[in-house]
Amino acid sequence: MLDALIAIFEALPYLLKGALVTSGIVVGAMGLGLVMGIHMAVGQVYGNRAVRWFVGLYVWFFRGVPVLVLLFLFYFGLFALIGLNLSAFAASTLVLGMTTAAYQSQIFRGAILSLPKGQLQAARALGMSDIKAIISIILPQALRFSIPGWSNEYSIILKDSALAFVLGTSEIMARSHFVASRTYHYLPLYITAGCLYFLLTWLGVRALLKLEAKVRIPGYSQ
Amino acid sequence: MAFVMALFMVSNGDVFAKELINGIDANFPPFAYVDKAGNPGGFDIESVNWIAKKMGFTVKHQPMDWDGIIPNLVAKKIDFIASGMSITPERQKVVNFSIPYWTIKQVFVTKKDSKLTVDQVLKGKKRLGVQRGTSEAEWLKDNAIKKGWDFVLVYYDSAPLAIEDVLNGRISAAAMDDAPAMDAESKKPVKILGTFGMHDEKFGYAVRKQDTELLDTLNKGLKMLMADPYWDELVKKYLRK
Amino acid sequence: MTSPQKPILRVENICKTLGGKEILKSVSLSLYKGELKVLIGPSGAGKSTFLQCINFLIPPDKGRVWLEETEIQSRRKRDLYAFRQQVGMIFQDFNLFDHLNALENVAIALRKVKKMSRQAARDHAVAELERVGLGDKITLYPAELSGGQKQRVSIARALAMDPKIMLLDEPTSALDPELIGEVLSVIRDLAKGGMTMILATHQIGFTRSLADEVLFMENGSIIEQGSPEDLLSQDASSRTRDFCCRLNELYEESV
Repeated sequence: MLDALIAIFEALPYLLKGALVTSGIVVGAMGLGLVMGIHMAVGQVYGNRAVRWFVGLYVWFFRGVPVLVLLFLFYFGLFALIGLNLSAFAASTLVLGMTTAAYQSQIFRGAILSLPKGQLQAARALGMSDIKAIISIILPQALRFSIPGWSNEYSIILKDSALAFVLGTSEIMARSHFVASRTYHYLPLYITAGCLYFLLTWLGVRALLKLEAKVRIPGYSQ
Repeated sequence: MAFVMALFMVSNGDVFAKELINGIDANFPPFAYVDKAGNPGGFDIESVNWIAKKMGFTVKHQPMDWDGIIPNLVAKKIDFIASGMSITPERQKVVNFSIPYWTIKQVFVTKKDSKLTVDQVLKGKKRLGVQRGTSEAEWLKDNAIKKGWDFVLVYYDSAPLAIEDVLNGRISAAAMDDAPAMDAESKKPVKILGTFGMHDEKFGYAVRKQDTELLDTLNKGLKMLMADPYWDELVKKYLRK
Repeated sequence: MTSPQKPILRVENICKTLGGKEILKSVSLSLYKGELKVLIGPSGAGKSTFLQCINFLIPPDKGRVWLEETEIQSRRKRDLYAFRQQVGMIFQDFNLFDHLNALENVAIALRKVKKMSRQAARDHAVAELERVGLGDKITLYPAELSGGQKQRVSIARALAMDPKIMLLDEPTSALDPELIGEVLSVIRDLAKGGMTMILATHQIGFTRSLADEVLFMENGSIIEQGSPEDLLSQDASSRTRDFCCRLNELYEESV
C-alpha cells in the first residue's frame, strides 16, 4: 500500500504533464468545434439547400462513426493519403475537433431555432442585412443559451481525449498506463487518472457556470 | 484558421538533420518502459542510445500503442522500431529486420501458488491471456486448432495487464516473452511455469523496406555494441534478474 | 391634411399565397405625406401579411412598391436594406432585442446600419427614448419592462432611424388594457407631428379621431375605403360599421 502511494507520488509530475497534454487536446478540439459549429449551425438554419445538405452529411458522418474508428481512419488513412504529416497530438485534436463540431453545431442550431422569429424580423425591418442581424442579434442570444449544452459537450470531449492514447499521444491515460506497466500498481494509478479527469471536468464546468452567470440577460426568468 | 495552422506546426517532422525516431511500446519492461522521471528507459532504449552516439545520429524514443507501431513506421511517423520486437515471417513481409540481438523464449506465467502444469493450461479449458498483436498470440491461435488445445485466448493491450488479470484470477495463466515474465516475477507474486512448445524467437530492430542505408547503420552499430563490454553490462542490468 | 400630388408610398397589386391559401388578393394602396391610414378588419383578413409585404419581410408573390416614385428592386439586397431603413415597423409582439437594454435596442441599428459613432448613437438613442417618456429606463432590459414600455421602446427604435413612413401592425393588441393608453398617446403625438403612417388596429375610437382614411380588409382584399365619417359615423351603413359594432359588443367600447 505504501509503495503504491510512493509510486504515485513519484509519478505525479509526469502525470500532471499528461494533464497538460489532455487540456491542450480539449482546448484545441473545443475551440475548433466552436468555430466550425457556429458556421455550420448558421448555414443549416439560414443557408441554401446545398449548404444544408452538406452540413447534414457532415453531422451524419461524424455522429455515426465512433471516435476511435475516426482516429485510426484519419491518422493512418486519410491524412497519410493527402500527405498531411501531423503529430499524434495534432491529429487527435483535429479529429476530436471535427467530431465535436458536428455535435456543437446541433447545440447551436437548437438554440438559434428556439429564439422567437420576431428577433430576426425586427432586425431586418431596421434595414440590417441578414449577416449583420445574425452576428449582432441572433448569435449573442443563441450562444448564451447554448452554454449548458456546450458545457456538457466539454465534459464528453474531455473523456474522449483519453482515446488519443491509441495514436500514441502522451496524455493522462497513456502516462498512467506506462507507470503502471513499470510498477504494476494498476488500481492506484487508474484511480489517480480518474481523479485528474474529474478535476479537469470540475474546473471546466465551474468556469462555464461562472460565464453563464456573467452573461445572463437581466430579468430573464431561470 | 490561424489556430489550425498552429496545429500543423506542432507536427512530427521528417528526419531533420539526422534525428531519428524510435517507436517503442513503453508497456514492455525490461526492454522498453517509462522511468520514474517520465523518460523512456529499458534495454532497447539504452542500446539504441549507445548505437546512436557511435554512429553519429540523434535519436528520440516515442512511446506508442503496440497495435499501431508498424502502421506508424510504414506511414513514416517513426523511423525504426527497437522495442522487443520478434522477427517473424509475417512481419518480414512488411518491414526489414536488423541482425538478431536477443533470443527469447515464450513462457507461461501463473500465480506463485498455482498448482497448474503447462499441459493443464493447454488442455484444461483454461483462460489464457496474451498481448494482442504479438507473435505468441498468433502462434497460440494457430496451434490451438492444429493441436486440439481448448484454452480460451484472452487479449490484452500489454503483458503487464495480463499479469494483473492472472493475479485477479480472471485468467489462469498468461503467455509472454521470458524477459518481461522475469520482470513480473521480480515485482509480483507470480512465477514462470515454463515454456509451452513455441519455438524460440529472436528480437531485431525493424525498418521500412526502402531504408537500406538506415538498416546498414543500425546493423553496424548493433555489431559494435554486441562486441563491446557495455553489452554485458546492459544484459546484466536488465535481462538477468 | 391636404394631399400633395404625388404619393410618398405606392403599393400595387400585392398578392400572396401561403400554405395553399390565398392570403392577399391584389391589394393596392397609395399613401400621401403626413397621412394616417388605418387598416381595420377581422383576424385572418391579411392586415399583418400586407404590412410585412410592403417592406418585403414577407416576399409577395406579385406586386410592386414605390417609395417617392422610385420602385423598390427587392431582389437587389442593398436597395432593399436602404428601403427598409426608411420604413419604420412596429410589431404586435414588440420584438425588442432581448439581450440588449433599452438604450442599446435603439442604438444598435444606428451603429450597425447607419454607421454612427458610439457616442453619437448613444446621444440620439437617449433623445428618442426621452421623447417617448422613457428617459429614466434606458438601462433596463426588455424582460424588466412592462408591455407598454416595451412597445414605446420599439417605437423609439424605429423613429431613431428617421424613417419616411411607419407601418404599425396592431401595436396595442398584445397589451393589457391599462397599458394601451400610453402607447396610443405616443402614436397620437406622432400623427399630430405629421408622420406618415399605416396603422392596423382594433382601436375604433382612436381611428375615428385621428385617421385620414379607413380601409376595411376582409379575406385578403380591401372591401371598403373612405374617411372615418363616411364609414364609421352613426348613420353610415357600411360593412366597416357592422364590423366595428360587433367589435364593440366584444370589447364594450362605445362607438
